[in-house]
Amino acid sequence: MTAPGFETLAKNLSAEEFERFRDWIHRHSGIWLEDSKSDSLRISLVTRATRFGLASYDDYYQMLTTDEVEFRELMNLVTINETSFYRFPAQFTALRDQIIPEILESKPKASHAFRAWSAGCSTGEEPYTIAMTLLDSGLEGLGYRPEVLGTDVSTAALDRARDAVYPRRAVENLEQNVVSRHFDRIQGGWRPTKRVLDMVDLSYHNLIKEPYPLALMANWDLIFCRNVTIYFRVESTRRVVHNFFESLNPGGYLFVGHSETLTNISEEFESVEVGGVFLYRKPRPQRLFAGSTLRSSAESRARVSSAAPSRSRPTVPAEEPVADPSPDTRPPAELLAAAHEALELGEPFEAIALAARVIEAEPENADAFLVAAFGHADTGDFEAAAAEANRALELDPLQATARFILGVIYLRKDERARAIEEFKRTIYIDRDFAVAHFNLGNIYRQQGDIDNALRSYDNALRALASAPDGDWKAFMGGFTPELLAQTCERGIAECKKGRTNG
Amino acid sequence: MARILAVDDSPTILEMIKAILESGGHDVITAVDGAAALESARAESPDLILLDVMLPKLDGYRVCRLLKFDQNYKSIPIIMLTAKTEEQAMATGIRTGANQYLTKPVEPDTLLTAVATELDKAQG
Repeated sequence: MTAPGFETLAKNLSAEEFERFRDWIHRHSGIWLEDSKSDSLRISLVTRATRFGLASYDDYYQMLTTDEVEFRELMNLVTINETSFYRFPAQFTALRDQIIPEILESKPKASHAFRAWSAGCSTGEEPYTIAMTLLDSGLEGLGYRPEVLGTDVSTAALDRARDAVYPRRAVENLEQNVVSRHFDRIQGGWRPTKRVLDMVDLSYHNLIKEPYPLALMANWDLIFCRNVTIYFRVESTRRVVHNFFESLNPGGYLFVGHSETLTNISEEFESVEVGGVFLYRKPRPQRLFAGSTLRSSAESRARVSSAAPSRSRPTVPAEEPVADPSPDTRPPAELLAAAHEALELGEPFEAIALAARVIEAEPENADAFLVAAFGHADTGDFEAAAAEANRALELDPLQATARFILGVIYLRKDERARAIEEFKRTIYIDRDFAVAHFNLGNIYRQQGDIDNALRSYDNALRALASAPDGDWKAFMGGFTPELLAQTCERGIAECKKGRTNG
Repeated sequence: MARILAVDDSPTILEMIKAILESGGHDVITAVDGAAALESARAESPDLILLDVMLPKLDGYRVCRLLKFDQNYKSIPIIMLTAKTEEQAMATGIRTGANQYLTKPVEPDTLLTAVATELDKAQG
């Protein structure tokens, strides 16, 4: 059906192949992928090559090097996990020159802290860049105390952020005066100055684990969470963005990725355009800046959709009341909610029909394709289900849920090798996807691969503990996480018993 | 110890149900859709069937009705598992002739008790 060369491609990327792609990418984008990015690059390559049914990396290389559009598609995947100092520089210019002055103008005089949160800070480039920008804005001179917090779920990334030693490449594209002001040359690379480092706190936090610690839930002037809509599925994104809204001060700003919009995610924020940069502001109780140069409301929302390469197309501006609430004119978000409901009520055909209408209005709504995939799976049409899940993945390759659905589809068809691949990919995207670990454990156990079965059950238990409310819960059919844990324990016991007897 | 046919469209959930039943000392065979359930019920004549309502191809109610209206299989006790509200499940469950219905999420003990009860009734 889709991918004759899939198995050949998935196994490994040789050092030569990696270097070949790395060099091409470097020559044509300036982005340098470290050796440690080999596996991540491989997944991006497989994702793209699979789409065309290509049987070898060589075939895909030919395609990549002769097709500019394909190169851009690949780079979208490759750069999702990339981070760098002053990534999307226009956002930091807008922050320094316009956003900070605007926030200070309305800040209560008693409040002398100016607080920014970098959510998903990875190896530290973003929180340090925010700190540098706060310093450059001169707010300290006005008596404000800048504080930056970086949080991430990867402790390895946090360790590197704390080390704060960056290679020459990390600074070589920055303006010379930025480097001389904010970096020290040290043994082994470059490090942000002590002033910058002292301003930044780093700590572990999982954005989809609620409730958030109280310390996170208030008094932020700025929250940066770029790629939030890319990492999480829609429901999780809505919750995360709502938590950000609650945590921001009135008038505070949420910075998302330059190609992201919150259409269909949140109607709580004002959409604001500052010099070509699109940002989201928590409204103040009264509008203090009627004459502000910043423009908000439906007008700029419309501009988001036309000017920025948005991921979904708003059809009804959120602020405007819907004139005719009859079912046929329901906005896509409502249709999608109805589709979800139909699924839960066991009406897959209704769900498929509703999802089709959402897709008609918003051809890039990955969640709608997912609902359709579920619907088809519920009717037993696995080919159609797989096709819809694949379409969802084309739009958003990092949807753990879509990967998981594919895995389940293959498992139902008894195609275990492919099921294993999809569950592994699910985990690659979301390592805390407990039911994917669990399913892997079951398959391995059935295959007599006891070592892998034990490891998978252990991972499932770990994931259960670390993300008890992850997206995976939607696949529990109402059963409790405790039962899943017990079943894992039982699987482990069976494995050990089998090993002793064997 | 009884042979039980467990039917659910999710392999994940099926494994959990299987673990519960095996912990109660039962032998478990499984099916992931309505058509396979029907086929398996006819071929294997299990002592009891645990049937999810929402199934691909042929929903649980239809499977139940087809078996209960068939002289050869009507004596096999059927417990239906449903995520729907109790009233709805009860109404439809009774119409389709299921012996018992359970609303998800089901506690393992509740499930084992229901199974034991139905097996007792069938033998007595």
